[in-house]
Amino acid sequence: MISTLAYGLTIGGILYIISIGLTLTFGTMRIVNFAHALVYTVGAYVVMTVTARIWDNFVFAGLVAVAVAVPLSYLIERFVIRRLYGQSIDYAIIATYAVLLVGVDVVKWLWGATPMPLSDPLNGAFVVLGGVELPLYRILVIAVALVVFAALEVFFRRTMVGKIVVAGLENKEAVRSLGINVDRFFTIVFLIGSALAALGGVLYAPITSIHPYMGFQVLLLCFAVVLVGGMGSIRGSFVAAFVLGLVIAVTGRFWGPAAETMVFVVMAAVLIFKPIEA
Amino acid sequence: MLLEVKELDVAYGAAKVLHGVSLAVDDNEMVFIVGRNGAGKTTLLKTTAGFMAPIAGSIAYAGESCGGTPAEAMALKGIRYVFQDKRVFSQLTVRENIELSAYMTPATPTQAVEKVLEIYPRMAQFLESRAGGLSGGQRQLLLLGCALIGEPRLLLIDEPTEGLAAGTIAEVFEVLQSVKGRVSMLIVEQNLDVVRRLADRVYAMKEGHIPREFRSASEFQEPDALEQYL
Ligand SMILES: Nc1ncnc2c1ncn2[C@@H]1O[C@H](COP(=O)(O)OP(=O)(O)OP(=O)(O)O)[C@@H](O)[C@H]1O
Ligand SMILES: [Mg+2]
Repeated sequence: MISTLAYGLTIGGILYIISIGLTLTFGTMRIVNFAHALVYTVGAYVVMTVTARIWDNFVFAGLVAVAVAVPLSYLIERFVIRRLYGQSIDYAIIATYAVLLVGVDVVKWLWGATPMPLSDPLNGAFVVLGGVELPLYRILVIAVALVVFAALEVFFRRTMVGKIVVAGLENKEAVRSLGINVDRFFTIVFLIGSALAALGGVLYAPITSIHPYMGFQVLLLCFAVVLVGGMGSIRGSFVAAFVLGLVIAVTGRFWGPAAETMVFVVMAAVLIFKPIEA
Repeated sequence: MLLEVKELDVAYGAAKVLHGVSLAVDDNEMVFIVGRNGAGKTTLLKTTAGFMAPIAGSIAYAGESCGGTPAEAMALKGIRYVFQDKRVFSQLTVRENIELSAYMTPATPTQAVEKVLEIYPRMAQFLESRAGGLSGGQRQLLLLGCALIGEPRLLLIDEPTEGLAAGTIAEVFEVLQSVKGRVSMLIVEQNLDVVRRLADRVYAMKEGHIPREFRSASEFQEPDALEQYL
């Protein structure tokens, strides 16, 4: 059971890191950004390629992957998302989904469609907890998620940029009336969210297999996190990610095929009892 | 004239709500707009503040033509807009609300807090509390204080006493009175007592037009002069 819980928290940590970007783009710009899944996928592929071809150092490769995500997501923001501000949400869904589809084809063209594994960067090191062996890597993933959460808390509560974004989430016109160009700050937040998506891809790569469609599956789970977490709430997403991670792990332990379905059962239940005000 | 609006037409989609509206505000003048619900008062302020682009007509501010200039750029020219909805940034503390208001002005955070406390000393005890916990009256006083940070040139204030208790209306009145003559103000107000006691000039607004301008106190002090537009 302990290893199931640890696995659930690991999945939760990764879901949190990926969904924070979706939460922020939805919360700040009311845009549902499917292209987020592409950034995540590219993150996983870059970490794999760098460890295989350039330097077999997971941390270095991970940093490269995150660094690659920033210009990539800037291009997506600049040429697609920015044109969608204030438009109907349907346009955003269609346009960013198109970016995802095109991007996935480019990924296939560059790397091929065969799933590829990435070995455990810690060579299978483990820790013993309550008599159970737990892969150290997974524990570290949980720790990284906690660090990301703490860093975001500091960013949004203590820095001026963070406070402007929090204020802009609540009342964009009022922030504009203070002479602050809110959209510029939203772009910064978009880039932070995208860098985290790539980080999520990096962290998940050694646990799963890397393939061009890996983003689709994770995207649905992340939408569930964003919905359950309250559409745009940073803390809500944190709680929701870990709860849903545990749901996946615990359900999977008893009946594997139902693991991810259960997430959507939880999501449906949340939507029924706590409907979103549109 | 600091602000000169001429023959302004403004629409929401296909629905035109301002029809050839003209008005002006001079340096350090306190000008009021009265008119019924739906007359277009808020639309006029919003357009002046840069939140809506006019479909015709012109807005000149400090000698520059600025119809359609975005709100953040207008704010940088010294315009402060106090919205009708009296919303503060509820997630942030009162101090953070004040700091945000000062962010794009030359005022330091300390000076900004002093400015707010100067017009409403009792805000001192709430500085570290979440602004969302303030009462309606306290919010309005905070918003007015924030609007005064950094020496603005023109305040656009939408119904500052709407929905407030008598005691709070008196406090808001005092704030407005204390800045009268030191900054230009264009204020929408339905409380005619407040209007009569503060105004330099009054425009009456009706169905998207300005049918009447009261150029001096003697004109708007006449019984029923303003009342007929409410
Ligand atoms: N967002 C909007 N979309 C469409 N029509 C609008 C919108 N906002 C206002 N209107 C319409 O424009 C007209 C003027 O509205 P406005 O808010 O400017 O009036 P007001 O004089 O400020 O009224 P109040 O005293 O109620 O605040 C009204 O007929 C209103 O229904
Ligand atoms: Mg109004």
